[in-house]
Amino acid sequence: MGKYLLRRILQMIPVVLGTTLLVYALVFALPGDPVKAMFGDKPVNEAVAAQIRAEYNLDKPFIVQYFLFLKNALTLNFGETFAGQPVIAEIGRAFPVTIKLALMAFCFEAIFGCVFGVISGLKKGKWYDSVILIVSLLLISVPTFVTGFVGQYFLGVKWRILPVTAGANPGFFDLLMPAMVLGSVSMAYIIRLARSEVSSNIALDYVRTARAKGMSNTSVTFRHILRNSMIPVVTYLGQDLGALMGGAMITEQIFNIHGIGFLTYQSILKGEANMVVSVVTLLTLVFVVCNLLVDMLYAALDPRIRYA
Amino acid sequence: MSEQTNIDDKLDQLQRAEGPLLEVKDLQVDFTTDDGRAVHAVRDSSFSVYPGQWVAIVGESGSGKSTSAMACLGLLPGTGKVVGGSIKLNGTEISHYAQKEFVNVRGSKMGLVPQDPMSNLNPVWRIGTQVKEALVANNMDVSHEKRSDLAKALANADIEIKSEGDETFLGSKELPELLEAAEQALVGIGVEGDAFTRKMEYFRSEWVPGSETRWRVADDLIKAGVKDDDAWYIAKKYVTGSSMEDRIAGLLVEAGLPDAATRARQYPHEFSGGMRQRALIAIGLACRPELLIADEPTSALDVTVQKKILDHLQDLTDSLGTAVLFITHDLGLAAERAQHIVVMYKGQVVESGPSLEVLQHPQHPYTKRLVAAAPSLASQRIVSVEEHGQDASSIMEHKVNEQSLETADTIIEVSHLTREFKLPRTKDMFKAVDDVSFKVKRGTTLAIVGESGSGKSTVANMVLKLLEPTSGTVTYNGSDIAQFKGKSLLDFRRHVQPVFQNPYGSLDPMYSIFRSIEEPLRIHKIGDKKSRAARVRELLDLVELPESVMRRYPNELSGGQRQRIAIARAMALNPDVIVCDEAVSALDVLVQDQVLHLLNDLQAKNGLSYLFITHDLAVVRQIADDVVVMQHGKLVEHGTTDEVFLHPQQQYTRDLLDAIPGGKLELGLNLD
Amino acid sequence: MTDINTTLPGQERYVAPLEETPLQTVDTVDESAPATSMWSDAWRTLRRNPLFIISAILIVFIIFVALFPGVFTKTDPNYCTLDDSLEPARPGHPFGFDMQGCDVYARVVYGTRTSLSVGILSTLIVVAVGTLIGAIAGFCGGWIDAVLSRIVDIFMAIPMLLGAIVVLQMFRTVTSIWKVVLVLALFGWVSTARIARGAVLSSKNLEFNTASTALGSTPMRNLFRHILPNSLAPIIVIATTSLGSYIVSEATLSFLGIGLPSTTVSWGGDISNAQSILRTDPMVLFYPSVALAVTVLAFIMMGDAVKDALDPKSRTA
Repeated sequence: MGKYLLRRILQMIPVVLGTTLLVYALVFALPGDPVKAMFGDKPVNEAVAAQIRAEYNLDKPFIVQYFLFLKNALTLNFGETFAGQPVIAEIGRAFPVTIKLALMAFCFEAIFGCVFGVISGLKKGKWYDSVILIVSLLLISVPTFVTGFVGQYFLGVKWRILPVTAGANPGFFDLLMPAMVLGSVSMAYIIRLARSEVSSNIALDYVRTARAKGMSNTSVTFRHILRNSMIPVVTYLGQDLGALMGGAMITEQIFNIHGIGFLTYQSILKGEANMVVSVVTLLTLVFVVCNLLVDMLYAALDPRIRYA
Repeated sequence: MSEQTNIDDKLDQLQRAEGPLLEVKDLQVDFTTDDGRAVHAVRDSSFSVYPGQWVAIVGESGSGKSTSAMACLGLLPGTGKVVGGSIKLNGTEISHYAQKEFVNVRGSKMGLVPQDPMSNLNPVWRIGTQVKEALVANNMDVSHEKRSDLAKALANADIEIKSEGDETFLGSKELPELLEAAEQALVGIGVEGDAFTRKMEYFRSEWVPGSETRWRVADDLIKAGVKDDDAWYIAKKYVTGSSMEDRIAGLLVEAGLPDAATRARQYPHEFSGGMRQRALIAIGLACRPELLIADEPTSALDVTVQKKILDHLQDLTDSLGTAVLFITHDLGLAAERAQHIVVMYKGQVVESGPSLEVLQHPQHPYTKRLVAAAPSLASQRIVSVEEHGQDASSIMEHKVNEQSLETADTIIEVSHLTREFKLPRTKDMFKAVDDVSFKVKRGTTLAIVGESGSGKSTVANMVLKLLEPTSGTVTYNGSDIAQFKGKSLLDFRRHVQPVFQNPYGSLDPMYSIFRSIEEPLRIHKIGDKKSRAARVRELLDLVELPESVMRRYPNELSGGQRQRIAIARAMALNPDVIVCDEAVSALDVLVQDQVLHLLNDLQAKNGLSYLFITHDLAVVRQIADDVVVMQHGKLVEHGTTDEVFLHPQQQYTRDLLDAIPGGKLELGLNLD
Repeated sequence: MTDINTTLPGQERYVAPLEETPLQTVDTVDESAPATSMWSDAWRTLRRNPLFIISAILIVFIIFVALFPGVFTKTDPNYCTLDDSLEPARPGHPFGFDMQGCDVYARVVYGTRTSLSVGILSTLIVVAVGTLIGAIAGFCGGWIDAVLSRIVDIFMAIPMLLGAIVVLQMFRTVTSIWKVVLVLALFGWVSTARIARGAVLSSKNLEFNTASTALGSTPMRNLFRHILPNSLAPIIVIATTSLGSYIVSEATLSFLGIGLPSTTVSWGGDISNAQSILRTDPMVLFYPSVALAVTVLAFIMMGDAVKDALDPKSRTA
């Protein structure tokens, strides 16, 4: 187990380096001038532009820029925004909100996804299986922002059950609808995954052997069918936790939640390349760490991996 | 002798008195297809199993033998349903049982040992846990043996069991104290020196916690010379019941798994196939069912392992008085193990009766066919004919005369062939093939026999130049095949062709049969479109398949048909040598027999030489002139088929020969 | 040993009458059934699947709308007058007007072409690039595989939306739809490459390749004649499903205002414009949303149906 973990961590290093390099390259090395982009539609003030270039080391060779950026990033020094705020402080303010939102969405999709998926898989062909399947298909097809508007219109405007937008300092109820919207697509995928896993596991040989032992249907279902079906589901959930933070951008935008996604989007609009790189790097790191956690969880759940 | 007859008589009386344990009458099982049609998997089948008896159901794949057995357990797969007939267990009708009711009889009254050890254990639970599930599900008392009435009655002949407590298991906690007490008792009656060590050694090996009971401990002590009262005193004092862990380990030991306490904490992927099968046997017998359904329990295992496990299972079920419904495709194996045989064909019972009688005087044409085709019986037949001093060539499928075997020139020569593989994540090298040498004479067949991991397929791949040897050479017609490149390699490929084991994998599913057989002609740019088509027709005719097969795809053909297509493809270029790597192992007996005939005919007609790789010695007898036996990468024995079969030199070869099922059966020589 | 005299009741010798169990020749070919290849088998499964029929009809219809929007509306989607701002439906304008006074129906019709072309073009690029790289990695193995797999890992670690936003904000001024297509392809090829690699790896190890080699075939010939054709099924499945997700991504990017320029008629852009009037005029938002959802649904259902038909697990080989 320890060896396996170490190997996974070592494998992670080139991925992290490569990913940050890629993001950095995308922002600063692509044809298209980030400094010009900062000015947006305004005329470019060459003096200011030169100053910005010096500040972000853009006058140096690319690879040097990257290492300087990396060095700063390791000390959590991501530079300052146009308004003179340290980037890390802005991120520090926005991050907890996004984590809260992502965790709520995560719980929502995990609980409802598993419950509906398992029911559907165990009772394949029943009418409620069809209903669950159709609903999950619909949720996958409808983009998050449409789901968001539908939710806002019905739950917020028409029936007035939940607040329409969340605002700067959201509480549990403010985030309830955004979390459901954010988690809905993943929930649909989990339903489908759990359903296909459960329904294919039911027919496996070791399940038959368990029945032949004289075990009751309930214990066969829990100990053999569900236990084994949960391995890929948990893997998916873990990877999704990282993706949820990145995907929160749309949801935060619609519900006016001042989290990381909102911040990123505002930075993009304002052309704050520095902020964008920092946030994307951070989210990528979160994603990679989540993947590592998934690997560990996977090893804990599946003994075949542990000793491989 | 007299004791044995005594027990047999007693068993017979008991069986008659109690009536059948399982009685299946006119059973009908249907499956529903996607478009709602009913397929009759089992039709009007009847058979019965008496307590303590082994009954075998024999048939090829798709004959309904497994389906019948699963119907008894209420575990029919998919859309399967019992639509008629009755299944009685101890006189109670169970065919209409709901799943909830079946739960009460499964495990406790009927156990299952399934076919494929690889897929029948849940990979995420420890072996011990999976045994425990069986015990817990049936509320088994883990501190006392549950012995069937039959076993009790039979055991009575042996020793008087005084009270219920005598069936208490030994626990691992008390074992050291018990051994100490036994030591003192032995010292007390004056046993010393070698005899003392031997007896203690015996106690240590026999007294397995969770398996050994009080009366047996007492019995062992008494047999060692300890006075009755003292022996019972020690047994009563120290054999006081086992814990769950002890019992699990005990069950695993009974199933033949050494070091069971440690093994119980391991996961299935750490077990070999044979070990997994032993664990499954432990699970099947955990709750001491009266009937054990063994569904081809050893067909996925090596022959020698197969024999060991079946021997063990037989001893175990005999001592427990468990009846066994034994499902197999091997008539020889069935006859060897069971008292009563049921032959099934296309969902129906075509013949049933006492094993030997069915085997010696088969009545139904299908049974006759099976008896004639079964390789294990065929080789047995050859041996017995020769022992009777007659000429066996008339019943042998194949025989090249001795003279040509001696005079024929060598077409393939393998000398000092060695192949090493690097073990993953270590620097160690693993010798898959270690210094193997042999010659294949033109127009003859050399068989390489060995179990999985013996390196026989690696040799085949090196002869085919699909794998480079680490050292040693393979020569074809006197030239070293390592030197072949480009044109000469293409020429070599043209003359040495393979037929692989897996009839499902060796044909590209995207290619029509025509394209598959035509492929070698295209690669070697032989003929034009028209002449190639003509050649394909010719080849199909050669392997006795209708021309219409050309337009079909591999997924529409049976395993045997695919293998014949693979042979046709190999024959397309008029090769000199065909390397058959387990070419008939995956096929049903009758189909296997058919393909072997085809190979023999082709050899006779075209003077082919075969390198025949197989794990099945029985088949070798039918096809080979020379035999090479391999074990752990090394050549163990090399000789003519007769030499190897009649006068095996090595213990391993003898083990392999012993493991041929039905080898010790007395066969009627008159077989038509 | 049991002999005939001691046979137990019910276990007497039994031989079935031959007329009840007629014997057939060993291993005959059933010549009655028509010959079917794997593809025709899959096609037969597909045809019977209602999911496929519904999605096929929808997709044909959507493609038709995208090719010939003029058949469905004579109104110019870019002709907008503020006089018509938020006017309700009236004859000739069944969905009413949006805030700028553009005809919603016409914009929904013309938006089809945008969504579909982005989806199809991205998928084509992704399949081409992903299959190529995946096949090279799987076929060559060794260090080439190791390097390519790490590159795939790196791209996998960047959430598609974030990556796309970072790149797209550089190219605000570019108005061609190709920028969205290329960005989606840039972050989308990895999943196809992974699947292609896996498929090539598994069919590379099948026995028929060894058989071909032994017949004299070269590795390259094997790759093109055997391995690639046998790896197609999973690639087709992922291509169909991802087509739907690229359409969603395009709409999302346009919704965020950094996808397609506002001059291009697109559902995402229209939905974005309509969000401010959600409370008063939800229908303006409703129509493009439904069009978007139905299109994506059609492709996802098609992906499901194709998967059912081609999945080796559901096929009994």
